[in-house]
Amino acid sequence: MVVAGASSSSSSSILGIASGFFSRALHSSKTSSGPPTAVHGIHVFHCPDVVGIVAKLSECIALRGGNIHSVDVFVPENKQVFYSRCEFVFHPARWPRDEINNDFMKLSKLFNAERSVVRVPYLDPKYKIAVLASKQDHCLFDLLHRWQEGRLPVDISCVISNHVRSPNTHVIRFLERHGIPYHHLPTTPRNKREDEILELVADTDFLVLARYMQILSGRFLESYGKDIINIHHGLLPSFKGGNPSKQAFDAGVKLIGATSHFVTEELDSGAIIEQMVERVSHRDTLQSFVQKSENLEKQCLAQALKSYCELQVLHCDTNKTVVF
Amino acid sequence: MTLLRRTAYSSSASSSILQIAGTFFRAPHSSTAAVAGSTYGVHVFQCPDTVGIVAKLSECIASHGGNIHSVDVFVPEDRRVFYSRSEFVFDPARWPRVLMDNDFSNLSKFFNAKISIVRVPDLEPKHKIGVLASKQEHCLVDLLHEWQDGRLPVDIKCVISNHERAPNTHVIRFLERHGIPYHCLPTSPGNKREDEILNLVKDTDFLVLARYMQILSGRFLDSYGKDIINIHHGLLPSFRGGNPSKQAYDAGVKLIGATSHFVTEGLDAGPIIEQMVERVSHRDNLRSFVQKSENLEKQCLGKAIKSYCELRVLPYELKKTVVF
Repeated sequence: MVVAGASSSSSSSILGIASGFFSRALHSSKTSSGPPTAVHGIHVFHCPDVVGIVAKLSECIALRGGNIHSVDVFVPENKQVFYSRCEFVFHPARWPRDEINNDFMKLSKLFNAERSVVRVPYLDPKYKIAVLASKQDHCLFDLLHRWQEGRLPVDISCVISNHVRSPNTHVIRFLERHGIPYHHLPTTPRNKREDEILELVADTDFLVLARYMQILSGRFLESYGKDIINIHHGLLPSFKGGNPSKQAFDAGVKLIGATSHFVTEELDSGAIIEQMVERVSHRDTLQSFVQKSENLEKQCLAQALKSYCELQVLHCDTNKTVVF
Repeated sequence: MTLLRRTAYSSSASSSILQIAGTFFRAPHSSTAAVAGSTYGVHVFQCPDTVGIVAKLSECIASHGGNIHSVDVFVPEDRRVFYSRSEFVFDPARWPRVLMDNDFSNLSKFFNAKISIVRVPDLEPKHKIGVLASKQEHCLVDLLHEWQDGRLPVDIKCVISNHERAPNTHVIRFLERHGIPYHCLPTSPGNKREDEILNLVKDTDFLVLARYMQILSGRFLDSYGKDIINIHHGLLPSFRGGNPSKQAYDAGVKLIGATSHFVTEGLDAGPIIEQMVERVSHRDNLRSFVQKSENLEKQCLGKAIKSYCELRVLPYELKKTVVF
């Protein structure tokens, strides 16, 4: 109610400004050599709930000529926590990038936010990720191909594997062609090469475990400190651990699935980001279980990464996520 | 391999079958034959796999003027077991019910079948069932309404509950109106009233546990001896036992489901018949988890019972089912 009241008088002026930029942007984007005039921004916010947050956030954007295109707000029934995600377009000349940071920082302090992140995909560097894989290729391939097609907005700084791949394999040739280093770090029960991995990934924003079959220790997780996304080829919490396709096949289930989740110290137990299922029947063999499962894993991991990069995934409680 | 050879066999036999059947295909043009050849029968068969089963089964039906409308055959990749389900129409004047039983019985002996069941819905009594429920009504009520609408082809002999229901409740009035006895058998940790239940259901063909919250003992299962179908409000094997909706909610899953399965001595561990899922998100609270779950349970149990009555469900290995 408060939000609508506050912005209705200013919205017409925002539209006036923004439409001017839109029309110029549309007409001029192809001919101008500089950036488009209207730029897309995303802001996510997580703070203790109180009256007036949406009003202040939207006011902040509007005052700088930003036009909000999408808002998701979520306050759980029984907890005084506030989550929001806004998409807006703005003009960098009018609202420079570092000032955006300052403005949201002030709001963050005002509301004692647990998290306040703003991202301008056009101006900010892409997320830097490292991908860890073992012997199974399918998730790694799919990820690399999506990245090549521009559908995964990340910078892959390296691929790390405990499995050796010879120079004439598809993966190695692909990585060479794109100048992405491949680090082969074979593991043993006693040596998980964690220190070497930590050094290789020190500069990344998050990690992707694309069927990496080693368990990362609590020490590694603390040292790395940033998010790690894993794909598990089963519908958690069913079939944790190894060979979930076979576990599912033996259990006679009629639905199989894949789960992508954040990595925590406990195996396959972190906050779930995305889950997908497919039907199976008596006509399925272990092989078709595995094939359907691999198909689901690729889709599920890709969807989770996409959501994460677009700032749609927020941690909620200890083991859950908000996915806008 | 065997399946392929079987197809080769039946292709030579099939032309003669088609010839025989062809004369009956013409039959619908004559008014008496149209009515006569339209009684519907279902036959299911399970035996050790060998060449020639489909040929013999279809020949048996055709030689009595039966017209096969649908056949499902399944032979697992790695085991020499044969499963089939045939639907056919026939003329009882030409193929009396008793003779039909004999004919299939002969084939059953010939192939050393583990299962050979023929059912002619129009000529036989419906499956007699007992329904057990506890306090939660939604599955029971849905089942009763489906039955009333003629969509559940069973005879409900009685409803047994460990929960009392007053005379003016919907369930009690419904049952009275339809002359179905309601037996309230409150249970205690020391007394599950199993002998009384056994006595009440001894005349039934199978039992339905529609959210019956007591565990039936191995002794009960042995004594009753026939199939018991349960609905579990979770996606087995996740969340066995009590309050799976809350377990799922606490686990932060993005998909919840229901599972209907045969009852065995292990809790929620018998062969699965049907599973269904629905998406949930951060916007769901425990209440909507429960509501979505209840909706799924009703559908899932209904589907399982229908499949079972239509002879689509066959046991497969120790813990699985074939569902044609």
